[in-house]
Amino acid sequence: MTATDPDTVLPLDPAIAAARAIEPPRWRRFGRGLRNFVRRSPLSAFWGCIAALIILVAVAAPELAPYPPLKSDFRAMTKPPAAPHYFGTDQIGRDTLSRVIYGSRASLAVAMGAVLFGTTLGALWGLASGYFGGRFDLISQRIIEFLQSFPDLILAMAIAMALGAGFGTVIVAIAITRIPFGGRVIRAVVLSLKEMSYVEAARGLGASHMRMMLRHILPQCIAPYLILATTHLGVAIIIEASLGFLGVGIPPPTPTWGNMLADSLNAGLVPPWWLVLFPGCAITLTVLAFSLLGDGIRDLVDPRLRGAVSVVRGGKSAAI
Amino acid sequence: MTGARRNPQSPSMYSYIVRRLVFGGLTVLGVSIVVFAVLRILPGDPLVAIFGAEGFTKLSEAERARYMADLGLSDPLVVQYFHWLGDIVRGDFGRSFFRAESVADMLLRRGPLTAEIALIAVVLSWIVGIPVAIISALRPNSLGDNVSRFFSILFLAIPGFWFGMLIVLACLFWFGYRAPMAGASLFANPWDNLQIVIGPAVVLGLGQAAYIARMARSSLLEVVREDYVRTARAKGLPGRLVISLHALPNALLPVITLSGILIGFVLAGSIPIERAFATPGLGFAMYIAVYERDVFVMQNLVFLYSIIFVMLNILIDVTIAWLDPRIRYR
Repeated sequence: MTATDPDTVLPLDPAIAAARAIEPPRWRRFGRGLRNFVRRSPLSAFWGCIAALIILVAVAAPELAPYPPLKSDFRAMTKPPAAPHYFGTDQIGRDTLSRVIYGSRASLAVAMGAVLFGTTLGALWGLASGYFGGRFDLISQRIIEFLQSFPDLILAMAIAMALGAGFGTVIVAIAITRIPFGGRVIRAVVLSLKEMSYVEAARGLGASHMRMMLRHILPQCIAPYLILATTHLGVAIIIEASLGFLGVGIPPPTPTWGNMLADSLNAGLVPPWWLVLFPGCAITLTVLAFSLLGDGIRDLVDPRLRGAVSVVRGGKSAAI
Repeated sequence: MTGARRNPQSPSMYSYIVRRLVFGGLTVLGVSIVVFAVLRILPGDPLVAIFGAEGFTKLSEAERARYMADLGLSDPLVVQYFHWLGDIVRGDFGRSFFRAESVADMLLRRGPLTAEIALIAVVLSWIVGIPVAIISALRPNSLGDNVSRFFSILFLAIPGFWFGMLIVLACLFWFGYRAPMAGASLFANPWDNLQIVIGPAVVLGLGQAAYIARMARSSLLEVVREDYVRTARAKGLPGRLVISLHALPNALLPVITLSGILIGFVLAGSIPIERAFATPGLGFAMYIAVYERDVFVMQNLVFLYSIIFVMLNILIDVTIAWLDPRIRYR
């Protein structure tokens, strides 16, 4: 324990200073990490590309979509896929391809918003409760357990219904269901980090709580957080689609994949197959891409997390 | 385990069960507060939730006041909360704002179907998930392993309700077949009942099987590295017996825990899936309640689902404590 020796107390931790001196610049480290990722798991890299492509489609929707998503073509109503409308049209003549393309915007925006608020809030909460422990931790754990006593779709439905349908409410509803997951995983990580000798050393050097959390513990939580966020992006997309399908998502004229599937049930006694097939394929592909990317990151960063995150994905963590 | 207690297992088991039950009771109480808060306090005005924003503006002041008084909404929130809890305890689940049927009748009529679906789904998920996991874990990274992993990831990504819609569509398209729409009880009309139940159960079951297979695979792979498994192999036991007699029983514990968590998946998942199949079950009733903004039905159903979820999880926890004595001593 040389770090606690008063003679070695320096303004900058010597180990950090040494590490900084030999460390390549950040962007090069990132590039190397990316190359490493592609080499180690080409399949995950492939799915990463698909995920990036989907995000690109969402951003460039107005350029890519052949028709405006809300424009009805009354000469082509409920037409199967054919030349001008490659994915067919719905019962009021809107182009399915354009709507699927625009749908990616709503789905991704909601999912990202929900993960950004929910998982992040949960992660920060988990960081604080794991770090401080004691009564704060105990109360936090109980609150999280209450939140987890609801199946997540049901909680999201109730909140979305209570707040009234809308873009923001859907994000809030899904975000609240994501909080416990972030909280539990990051708390578990923090609990194990707290025992590490470098953290003890920092404490010995007299670092403040804020500095310990942000400077020494938080950086180690980024990898688990990233894994959690990518996996939960997929879950959030499915919840968003389910909410849309049940009529408590983003209100109808806006094209979302869930809304389109719900709409297809109103298109006649037998729903036209193209109205069912394409939005669903879009959901499946997107969720698949993000969860496989998340798996790939996890395997690369820390194979030991395999159990932790995959259990948490289903619901509670394994810490029962 | 420091200072392993060697006293007979019953006393600590009892105290564990009591502890779990007390905690479960507290959880249910907390849940009731959350449900009440979400569905009664958040919307600001419940009449807006019932009539919609436009409908609400069309109501006159007097009408609003009358509706509020009729629904017991003019009382202070605390009084409303205790009224509601008292009603639930007496078994009065209230009635729909839009239909004559009381929620209790609805539960009796629609509940059994959904329970059947959930039960079949859970059984199916084990029947499918565990063998797939064993095939995977026997030869990691083999062709069989990769195929089964691909399918389990695929089934995690496919939204159940969409899968259900595709099945309904395929049956209609190719066979002109549609499951009967009217509810049929298991005893009165078993054949119709089976046709109604089988679709949602298979979709839910396969979705869960994917989780179970993933979990069981990673848990098996971890257990296989243990000393006692190596010992079993060293004494010349064939691989199949090593897995089934030595590795599997220990590997299944986390899977049982997961199964408890997945009950939530079944309860919640059955809502959109029952809509996709037009199953006359409780999930469909929940969808209708949401669709019609029927706050009271929704409130009671959400509470009921959560109670079921909490109770079943206590049952699972106790089962695991019974199977794995280490848990009880915490």
